[in-house]
Parts: sequence; structure tokens; C-alpha cells
Amino acid sequence: MNKPALLACALLPLWSTAQANPELDLLKAEIQAMKTQYESRLAELENRLKQAEAKSAPGQGAAPASDRLGQVGAGTRFNPQISVILDGVYYNDNKKGEAVEMLEHLDGINHGHDHEGHAHGSLDRGFNLRETEIAFSATVDPYFDASLYLAVDSHGGVELEEAYFDTRALPAGLKVRGGKFLSGIGYQNSQHPHSWDFTDITLPYRTLLGEHGLMDTGLRLSWLPRTGSYYTLLGMELFQGNEQIFASAGPELPEDVADTSFGGLADKKAGPRLATVYAKVAPDLGDDHGLQFGLWAAQARQHQEVHDHRDENPAAAVHALEGESRLWGADLVYKYDAPGAYGQGDFSLATEYLRANKDLAVAYHQSNAGLIGAERDFTQDGFYIQGTYGFAPRWQAGLRYDVTGLTNRVNRAGSISRMDESDRWTLALTHRLSEFSLVRFQASRADLSVEGEKEQANQFFIQYQHSLGAHGAHGF
Amino acid sequence: MRWILALILGLTAQAALATLNVVVTTASMGMLAREVGGDAVRVTVLAPSDRDPHMLQAKPSMIRQLRDADLVVAVGAELEQGWLPAAISSSANPRLLVGRPGYFEAAAQVDLLESNQAADRALGDVHPAGNPHLHMDPVRMGQVAMALAERLARLQPALGPDARLRASRFVAAVQDRLPGWQSRSRGAPGVVLFHKDAIYLTNRFSIPVHGYLEPVPGVPPGARHLQTLTSRLQGKPGVVVRHAYQPAQAAERLAGALGWPVRVLPLEPSGTAGAEAYFQFLDAWVNGLAGRQ
Repeated sequence: MNKPALLACALLPLWSTAQANPELDLLKAEIQAMKTQYESRLAELENRLKQAEAKSAPGQGAAPASDRLGQVGAGTRFNPQISVILDGVYYNDNKKGEAVEMLEHLDGINHGHDHEGHAHGSLDRGFNLRETEIAFSATVDPYFDASLYLAVDSHGGVELEEAYFDTRALPAGLKVRGGKFLSGIGYQNSQHPHSWDFTDITLPYRTLLGEHGLMDTGLRLSWLPRTGSYYTLLGMELFQGNEQIFASAGPELPEDVADTSFGGLADKKAGPRLATVYAKVAPDLGDDHGLQFGLWAAQARQHQEVHDHRDENPAAAVHALEGESRLWGADLVYKYDAPGAYGQGDFSLATEYLRANKDLAVAYHQSNAGLIGAERDFTQDGFYIQGTYGFAPRWQAGLRYDVTGLTNRVNRAGSISRMDESDRWTLALTHRLSEFSLVRFQASRADLSVEGEKEQANQFFIQYQHSLGAHGAHGF
Repeated sequence: MRWILALILGLTAQAALATLNVVVTTASMGMLAREVGGDAVRVTVLAPSDRDPHMLQAKPSMIRQLRDADLVVAVGAELEQGWLPAAISSSANPRLLVGRPGYFEAAAQVDLLESNQAADRALGDVHPAGNPHLHMDPVRMGQVAMALAERLARLQPALGPDARLRASRFVAAVQDRLPGWQSRSRGAPGVVLFHKDAIYLTNRFSIPVHGYLEPVPGVPPGARHLQTLTSRLQGKPGVVVRHAYQPAQAAERLAGALGWPVRVLPLEPSGTAGAEAYFQFLDAWVNGLAGRQ
């Protein structure tokens, strides 16, 4: 069936030997002769091909030898694909190293509820090795892909970040993901730190979703409907709702206060306790431009939190709240892809708004039975806007403004108390030496609200990142 | 009632005209798909001709295109590694998964240059599978065309005879032009390329490559490397070639120091190219490298 191709290949060496002949006229004659010869043979072959095709019924032919279906270079060479991201910073600030601590205790509705106090963002002034990310991914079988992300801290402690499967073969643009994974809400939530344009997480994410963003154990169904030239992605997730700052169930009350107290927390409901929905829409703006809008909401049907502030104030009564929480957000991303090499001229703009509400009531109080059932309604919001521009080959400048607590209030049965916002300006300069390594200089100036006082914190980072192993993919 | 009937009629009419939705990564793959598939395929090109196809991002619009595709035609050999696997995975289209008939990789159909090199990134962004820029070799493109015809036949058996015929016409057209390209590139003075992306062409037509502006693939040229090139090539004849999207400065400096001309040549034909435009694109390269333009 592929005789013309074979013929073509067979003719090639003839051409190259002919090339060595210095006598041009002879060569031309030869070429002409061969040309007429192969043209007539080709015509003959085409005829025979047509006749053969006409005879064989369509669809019954076995796979022809000239189409190598199984031999592809994509993704099959290493199994599983392994990649490692090394990440380190030199850090300094104007608060004798306290600025990191301040960022963890900003005034807001989730103040003091950092879970298990694990030292995610902790930085010393000077050299720091940040979390090393180790990622494995592979196709399990015709039906599933699976991925695993581990974060190793500088002391060798390993944390499981994500471990999930994805379906491969569902029809109609449907996909299911299950396991522990980063939620698809928002723009930055599903990004790992190495794909951020800045060294640190934004203030609204840190204060409203937590240091990791929304990451939990559960199941996702996503759907890519047929919507013409518009890209539309709809997703729905069910999570256990266990380790989030706005969705947590079954916290322990301190044992030493239990006997003198009133009320108690309800039993932990069966999971899933946290649900999310999200939608992303992107018009097709041609080769140069990319634009995406997103909208999301999350609801936790059980959230419990214990307030034990005796460390700061020994007279503070221990109490606990429970109820529901709701969050929503909107995001917009625009990217301009310039024809320049090595990212020169590329521009990106990303902005997100996030709002969280916790609708709780006092379920337990150490000293005041009258407060049991009293309502506490917490609301906080924030946004960030950031842009990057490739001002030279391999050099990118980034500017970010982020703020949390524009609305920042607690409603205690009608009496509203407000807290101040915290905001920050950040400038980053990123140099990508190659596709696999970068150096980033970042400086930020923040007005932070901590314990009702305004603190001005200046932070400075020099960061490096190295990517080893499998070639990473660049998502939008 | 009447509108329901009209709708049904409309839908069936559409089904009867159903063409294969082919999404390709680069313009030259688009050329092949159009040449081989003819009117039976609708071709969408993902990577713009004036961009480095290695450095794209998986944009939502690409995912949208892949969602409805019956066949994706990629170059392969890790050229699109940074964005195509992510886009295919996000497109939730099981037809396009690697290993299925809906996934076609040109690099898998031919023998590649520079395969089995050390996978050492000290040597830059190397592709252990081989050099992926095979579209610069018209003969290999002919082999890919034949394989693509077989793939179309497998996806839609009725397409087979015509696709094979058209693919063999493309092969014949290449054979027609080979002698011309051969004779025009004879005695070409040699070339300094920006990136190792024209070696299939230089190899096919025995044009000497004197060096590369990039010290190793994927790393921009530096002053020291340019100095080395200058001192090594001083006194020899040659041309310097870059693409429009690559920085002009290094190419101009080297050419200036050596007294060579700089040719700005595209890496890909235009996004809507057919065979004729592809051959003209190769003509421009051969003329440029042969010192005639």
C-alpha cells in the first residue's frame, strides 16, 4: 500500500550519488530519464492502489506497517514520571525576623486557628531551605492516571500534599478526580508554590483559605461542555472538610477546663462536610491573548472551633463555636503571549476576590452558661491583583498588591466589632537562567494589622528554584 | 412542530457532512493534515507560526479545540511536552490519549537525528528521543504523510483510498523538487544557526553547519560564546540564520564580526499553508543557506 513511499526512499540514494557527478548535462539527462520513469510507475501504482482499495471492504484491513501507532515519544519513556523541585531563600525583614510571625497572626476571623501550628511559612533571617517538592505521576491502566506530590521540609519531615487519581476514559467531557488534592476553585488555589510568580502566598489566600489553599480529601466531578468557541469548565467537589481553617470538625476541648464548664460541641457529622462548585469560562481571543473568568463557592455544613487564648491572657474563658461556613470568590486572568523569545514581551494579569463567612453559635463556654447558643457571625474578604512583564529575554518583573480584611467583622448577636485590614505591595524580579532554574529577588512593604495595632513590615527575599527530572508542563 | 422537524433535518444534514476534526500542533503538521485529509478534515493549528512551539502554555482555547477533536497530530519527541500533554489531559477527550488512534506523533513515524544522546541537561534542553524539528526535511515529511494517510484510514475507513492517493502525490511532489533543492544547495558556504532546529534540512542537503548561537539548546547566546564562534570561523564564508522571534543582537554581532549576511527565516510555514506554501518555505531556506536570496 505504501509502495510510492518505498519507491521514493529507494530513489533517494540515486539522487545523492548523482550529486557527486560533476558533468551537469549528463546528470540532467539522467534526472529526466528517472523522472519520467518514476512518474509512469507512480501512476501505475496509484491505479493498482485504487483497484486494491475498491476490492477490500472498508474497515477490515489490519493496521498497516507504515503507521507506527504504538511508538510515541510522549510520556512513555519514564514510568512513573518523577520530578523534584528544589526551593531555597535568603530572607530578611525590618522586624528582627518577626514579620513572618505577624503574617501568621493577622487580625481576622480565622485569627489564632492555624491548625496543628505546623511551621509552613516559618523563615529565619538568612538562608532557608524551603519545602522540596517531589512529584510522581503515571498512567495506572487504560482507565486511570495517578499523581503523588510530597513536600519535604528542611529537617527531612515529609508531608503528603496531594495523592489522587484522575479518570481517563469517561465520555462527554467528564472527568473524576479522587483522593487528596487541591481544589479547583479560584485561580491560584490549584497551583503549587513553584509555579507562583512571587515567592510567597497572597494575603487573602493565607487568611481565608490557609497556607496550603483549599486542599482536602474527597471527590471531584468536572465537565467540559460543548460551548462553541468558548471554553467552559464546570466542577463540583465533595470534601471531608477536616483540616480547613473554615471547615473543621471534632476539635478536642482542653481537658483541664472540662469539669467547670457549660455546653459542649456536637458530634462530628459523617463526611463529606464540605462542598464546592466552580465555573471557568474563557473566550477564544486568538493566538496572542488568553482570558479566563472564574466563579466559585464553597459551603461547610459543619465547622467547629475552640477558642483558647489563655496563653496570651490567663483570664480568658475557653469557649467553642460551631455552625456552618460559606465562601465564594471570583477570578480573572489575562495573558498576552508575545512573539519574543525566552518570554520577552509576555504580559500577565491575575486578580481574585475571596469572601468568607462563618455563621456560628457558642456551643461551649468555660464559665458562662448564659452564652450557650449566642450567635457569632464572622465575615472577612480580600483580594489581590498582580501583573508580570517579560522586559528582557529570561527576565520578568512582577508587581502585586494584596489585601485582606476590607470587610473584617464579627457580629455578636447584633453588636458588631470590626478589625482593620492588612495590605501589602510586592515587587519581584525573576531571572530564568534556563527552562529549569530561576533566581528571584522580591521586596515587599506591608501594613499589617496585628492585635489591633498597625505594623509596617518590609520583607526581602532572594529565592532560587531548580527543577529536576520530568519536563514540567505550564498550565494557564 | 415545524421547527422540530427543521432541527432534525438540520442535525442529520450536519451528520452527513461530518468531517474529521483534526487538531495539529504546528503549521507544518497542519499542512500535512490538509494535504492528506483534503476536504474530509477540518484542521485547527494550535501553535502560531511565529512562536517557538516548545514554549507555549496550555491555554483554555487549546483545551476547547482538543475537546472536540477526532485526531491530534503532534510533532512529538518532547517538542510539545510543556503544554500538549496537559492540554490533552484537561480536554477530557479519551480519543486523544497517547496510544489511541486519535493521537498521532510525526516523530514516531520516522528515524530521528540525534536520538540516543546523553539525557544530561548540562547540555541544555536536550530531547533524549531525538531532535524534534523533522518538518525541515521534506523526505521525512513524505513518510509522515504516508503514515498519516494510514491513520486517517483507520479512523474513517472510507477516507483511506483518497488519503493514500493524496499522500503519495505529496511524496511525488517532494521527489520532483528534490533535485532542484539538491543542486541549489551544492556548494553552500555553511551556516551558523541560532538553535538546532534546521539540522534536518542541512543534513538532507549536505549543507555544513558551522555552529549555533545558543551555547547549548535553550540557553541564550552570551558574549564569550560569540567570541569563541568568531575566532573559530574568522575568514570562512557562511551565513547566520535566525527566526524573527529570536533576538537579533547576537546574530548581527556575529555576522558583523565575520562579514557574513544574516538571514531571517521562519521556523514554520504560514498557519494556513498547503504543500505549495511549504515548498516555498523550503525554497526560501535553501536559497538563504546557499547564499542566494
